[in-house]
Amino acid sequence: MKILAVDTSASPVSAALLSDGALLGEFYLNIKTTHSQTLMPIVSALLSSSGTDIKDIDIFAVNVGPGSFTGVRIGTASVKGMSMPLGKPCAQISTLEAMAYSMPYSDGIVCAVMDARCSQVYNALFRLDGGEIERITEDRALSIEALAEDLGNYEEQIYLTGDGADICYKAFENKLPNIFLPPVNIRYQHAFGTALAAAKMAEEGRLVSSDELMPVYLRLPQAERELKERLAGNK
Amino acid sequence: MKRGSILQKFITNSPEETEAVAERLAAVLGGTEIIAMFGGLGAGKTAFTRGLARGLGINDGVSSPTFALVHEYSGKFPVYHFDMYRVTSWDDLYTTGFFDYMDNGIMVIEWSENIEAFLPEEHITVTIKSLSDNEREITIEGAKKI
Repeated sequence: MKILAVDTSASPVSAALLSDGALLGEFYLNIKTTHSQTLMPIVSALLSSSGTDIKDIDIFAVNVGPGSFTGVRIGTASVKGMSMPLGKPCAQISTLEAMAYSMPYSDGIVCAVMDARCSQVYNALFRLDGGEIERITEDRALSIEALAEDLGNYEEQIYLTGDGADICYKAFENKLPNIFLPPVNIRYQHAFGTALAAAKMAEEGRLVSSDELMPVYLRLPQAERELKERLAGNK
Repeated sequence: MKRGSILQKFITNSPEETEAVAERLAAVLGGTEIIAMFGGLGAGKTAFTRGLARGLGINDGVSSPTFALVHEYSGKFPVYHFDMYRVTSWDDLYTTGFFDYMDNGIMVIEWSENIEAFLPEEHITVTIKSLSDNEREITIEGAKKI
């Protein structure tokens, strides 16, 4: 079973090709060009250099969010476009879950965190136990402060991952003695994690059609507060 | 305002002079600044942006992106020209892709009043005040000396 996975949810772009659990290839770029210009050339290079025909792909996987507004739309739209004419199923992967799959074998809590600007983050927590990944929280949007408070409830080692890992580590290192910042080579999301999460999703029969594939946006606390104020003002 | 940031004031007497001040600001930019402009209708925000763009080697027609929300120009650096006149909430701002443009070029923002709370701490403020029909007072904060 071949899985083509892409990630455009934040500033890097990557694509990975997984065949029966083995990584055949991965392409990763972290440059200042927009994903709309880089994603298709890297997918095409990945397929051609690995001698794979796009028709042989069984599952198209994508990080559908949370993440950058334009980023998740580019990724989701591209995967819709590739899978639809072939009638192949899609794996709609949470960016945060893909990050948990990118972490190496290590027992503890994975705190996947993305910078949503203005001291807010997208986050989810996962427990790693003997190679199994168990989701502890839903994907959520919250302030860095609120996250620190929640992390205070865990005594295990907490591994930060994602593009918000650095700012959170700075904010938490003096408050939380069990916080750990992994080295840069595994700190950020890669499409390999997306592909692994997709394999698991296929096993559990949770794939969707290209029609059903949708980007996922989380409303930030700042936006929520504004909305409440506006509604209160209208009363 | 940021610690140690200097305040620079200029008086101009025509749109051309306003453009000239902006051109001088362009000369000290590093490539990823966020320039938040304040000033009401007809203050000269678009003229200022035109001068700034020219200073960065951009001669394409610069116009206010009132309906497109953002115009992109490419010169010495990419320039993203926003008009926040109709952008009034976090959701609006997020869906313009505003946060995706950060660190990728110079962001010039008209009607910054509407999104002031969401501006990152590090930014340049340009305030244009009408003193009379043609006379303007331009205050630049947070930029290098021009």
